Amino acid sequence: MFGSTLFIISALLTLGGAFMVVASKNLVHACVFLLASLFGVAGLYATLGADFLAAIQLVVYAGGVVILMLFAIMLTGGSQDLSNKYGLNKIPGMGSVRTYIAGGLSALVISLVVLKILANVIKSAQVGELPEFTTTVEKIGTMLLTDHILAFEISSILLLGALIGAAVISRPRKG
Amino acid sequence: MMTLASYLFISFALFAAGVAVIIARKNIIAMLLGIELMLNAAALNFAAYTRFLNNNYEGHIMSLFIIVIAAAEAAVGLAIVIRFFQIRDSIHVDDATQLQS
Repeated sequence: MFGSTLFIISALLTLGGAFMVVASKNLVHACVFLLASLFGVAGLYATLGADFLAAIQLVVYAGGVVILMLFAIMLTGGSQDLSNKYGLNKIPGMGSVRTYIAGGLSALVISLVVLKILANVIKSAQVGELPEFTTTVEKIGTMLLTDHILAFEISSILLLGALIGAAVISRPRKG
Repeated sequence: MMTLASYLFISFALFAAGVAVIIARKNIIAMLLGIELMLNAAALNFAAYTRFLNNNYEGHIMSLFIIVIAAAEAAVGLAIVIRFFQIRDSIHVDDATQLQS
């Protein structure tokens, strides 16, 4: 009962937030709606029994990525969806009814093909009761430091490289 | 209600929203927001499949690495955007027509 209530709230938060990211004109508002959508995804992780993933989602996205995005928006002063210096705010040829119809039809065909492929997988999935809640932190920690130790170390080097690269790229220009 | 199909539908809607943001917006930071939505859809798919197919936590590891890569991508992407704004005084994607300053 509690699980399905949490699922409904999280799903509505996720879908509504994602829709508002598409629809809102102001970029700061879009960023805040993205935050709502990420909170919803964290709730969905919780309904899947992935407590560690839900916590990491909240810490990394809400505490890190969205704040970084807000910083970049403020630094570039672009809270509005600006047109460029030629006054263009659309690709020429986008925005006519024909292109929307063609895009919708192709998206429909692609999703039908993917659903046809996935249908067997969905049918064969074991749909049972959720097992008794057990914390996943211990298992994930053991797996990260035994089976996946190489990927773990490579991701640490990737993060170090991203940190240094971001600092080098965005440093102010000399002279 | 909490079946694999409903999680896949939510993930599909998230991915479609990300693609729509990338196609419709002309602001580079807004396009980075769309990339974050798409990466979240992929991570949610991994977590849902590992719950409903075999429940052995491999998918949680994959989702964790997706989150790590998304954080690194956001840091480098926003650094490039700020550098681009210093040079061109704009963050419109149509102004990014040449790499050399």
